[in-house]
Amino acid sequence: MNDHYPALLIISPLLLAFIVSAMAWIRKGLCYPLAVVGSGLSAWFSVQLFATVLQKGTVDYRLGGWEAPWGIGYHVDTLNGMVLMVVSVLAFINLVATRKTVAAEFPEKEGAFYTLYLLFIVGLVGMTVTGDLFNLYVLLEVASLTSYSLIALGGGRAPLASLNYLYMGTIGGCFYLLGVGYLYIMTGSLNMADVASLLPAIYSSSAVWVAFTFCLVGVGVKMAFFPLHVWLPNAYSFAPSAVGSLIAPLMTKVMVYVMIRLMISVFSIDFTFSILKIGDPMVWLSTLAIVMGATLALAQKNLKRMFCYIIVSEIGYMVGGAWLGNASGMTGAMLHILNDALMTISLFLAAGNIYYRINGLEIAQLQGLFHRMPVTMACFVATGLSIIGVPPTCGFFSKWYLITGALEAGQYGFVGALLFSSLVNVILFFRVIEVSYYGDMQHAHGHGSPSEARAEAPAIMLVPLLILSAGLVVIGIYTGTIVNTVIDPVIPAALAR
Amino acid sequence: MKTAGLIIVILAGAILLYATQDFPPWGAPDSPASTHVSPRYLQKSMEETAVPNVVTSVLADYRGFDTMFETSVIFCAGIGCFALLRIFRKKPEDRYYRHIATEITLHIKGGRIPEKSSEFERIDALWTPYDLIIKTVCRILVPFIQLFALYVIAHGHHSPGGGFQGGVILGASMILIAISYNMRTAIARISEKTDNLLMATGVFIYAGIGTLCLILGANFLDYSGLSTILFSGPIMARSHGIFGVEIGVGITVMAVMISIYNNLASEGKQDEGL
Repeated sequence: MNDHYPALLIISPLLLAFIVSAMAWIRKGLCYPLAVVGSGLSAWFSVQLFATVLQKGTVDYRLGGWEAPWGIGYHVDTLNGMVLMVVSVLAFINLVATRKTVAAEFPEKEGAFYTLYLLFIVGLVGMTVTGDLFNLYVLLEVASLTSYSLIALGGGRAPLASLNYLYMGTIGGCFYLLGVGYLYIMTGSLNMADVASLLPAIYSSSAVWVAFTFCLVGVGVKMAFFPLHVWLPNAYSFAPSAVGSLIAPLMTKVMVYVMIRLMISVFSIDFTFSILKIGDPMVWLSTLAIVMGATLALAQKNLKRMFCYIIVSEIGYMVGGAWLGNASGMTGAMLHILNDALMTISLFLAAGNIYYRINGLEIAQLQGLFHRMPVTMACFVATGLSIIGVPPTCGFFSKWYLITGALEAGQYGFVGALLFSSLVNVILFFRVIEVSYYGDMQHAHGHGSPSEARAEAPAIMLVPLLILSAGLVVIGIYTGTIVNTVIDPVIPAALAR
Repeated sequence: MKTAGLIIVILAGAILLYATQDFPPWGAPDSPASTHVSPRYLQKSMEETAVPNVVTSVLADYRGFDTMFETSVIFCAGIGCFALLRIFRKKPEDRYYRHIATEITLHIKGGRIPEKSSEFERIDALWTPYDLIIKTVCRILVPFIQLFALYVIAHGHHSPGGGFQGGVILGASMILIAISYNMRTAIARISEKTDNLLMATGVFIYAGIGTLCLILGANFLDYSGLSTILFSGPIMARSHGIFGVEIGVGITVMAVMISIYNNLASEGKQDEGL
């Protein structure tokens, strides 16, 4: 049993997805409990797997019993062990927290919705756990296809937004696949570790850098790295709230993980930094991403759209950090995968709670919200502080590593962009807080009866949000432990010199 | 914007072409792709999996895990189309009935005449008289098409074919019925519920066989673990396992083809259609 965690992690939601889809036609009431079982098992196995990795070191698993270059192998070290846990646990929390909104939004298609939900988890988990380049592409397809359908389920302009995402996402997927194809022609292998051992002999070949560039562009589209981000704000803000809080925190983070995996485990640090020399341009692009994301966020009048542009600039943090070319920057980028996933899901869950009560997310509509939904807004403020980077919340620590790394690398523009975006975040969040704390509710709605006064979201939506907000502080406090035990072992020696 | 797009496309194409100069020569026997992993597939497929068709053994065994997710991708497409297109109507719709003896068409708003009536037949809004030749030819062809589909699935071990191809042919035979008669005739053969259950059953068979291997003590999808329940050696068990998953793939692909066609052609109403 213990040896099979990497497989169980992914087949439990997979099998349950098929059962849920059949159950939609037999007993509809069972769909949700079964989805909880599938997602819960996945979360449980990922925690067990992470514990195993921490105790015994990396875990390898051969699917089909074939050894690595011939068959498909899973390879779990502390980095993807952590990402796996983040993905499956957050997906589980979101599943519990959004039960009510799903039941209200899709009364007839709950079965299909939860099937897609579970398959989306399968896609993300599979991309993270795999040690095979082509297997990663197949799981990317699963995750993308399910996310297109889930986003298009939202009303209004969601189908159009999803169609645009589909075009961009398909192009991104094709770029990645072309890159992998080139690698296969040059090395004859698809296994990451095997490719990594074959590549040094042919580093000078132009096909290798083209392969790397194409993979990078493909992954860049999927993670909405500026200037390839145009699909993101519409897709994530028009999606149903349960979907927004699932996809927004997880999809982009997993793609950042994939980029880091390609950089450090497939193409080595030597190749990515010394031979290709694209570290500086990537950091400049990231600087631009942060500045543009922050500026565009300022222009938004809708809460969710504001969050979407914050994501664009946060992606800039992680990509920039990874390309700084030193250990602090890479540590910051890896740590920020964890922190940003937590912060984004808290933001979107808070937005979901607000939407559940006031049916709108225009910032002007939020007047008097502190009075009506004090707990939700308290969590919102905590998350806001973390995004701004106020200690002891976790957002401070990853930003600290990023700034340290940027100073070591002499990238003062990147330091400036990080500080600029922090300042902009202060403005963004305090603008919302000002409206919702000081804004006059009676003036805005024309009514203020005592029954309207308090309208907090139901406990089932509130408790997960509270847990996540507490998590922001807890993870902030334990940053040192996380960096020592989880991140340091995977930082390549070439970076740590 | 258009020009910028064109420039990017040309640039990307030029880079791809430029990189091909470092490729090994076309079809070179010493290229990495034909010397690194492929020799084992080519030489040992028969002794390791008892499947003469190397493509099948690579797809369904050596890299069977990928194929399981490819099948899941098809399943996702089916479920996605269902989730996005299907409309559940509470209100009864306008229906058209044709009195067979007099050929008079009745337009009934809201109500319905019993479907099984011998005097009336239900017709679509865009009904045209059936062509006897098309109907008869298709009716005769369908069983042969389905037989061929089963052959393609079963013979994947030895010749080009397998679950995906056979499943598509099976699905196409049902779509042919829907086109040559009407959608209701096809849905009467395979109802929406059956079709959706089949969709899930197919991939479940695939993943279930993998899980069975795991329960029997082997790794996930390591079919040799099935030897204890199949009363055969581990090599033959692999061959049987491959056949099992091919059947699963065939079922899912067929059901998804039908489901997507029905939802698209009837605009999600699963009522009237081409």
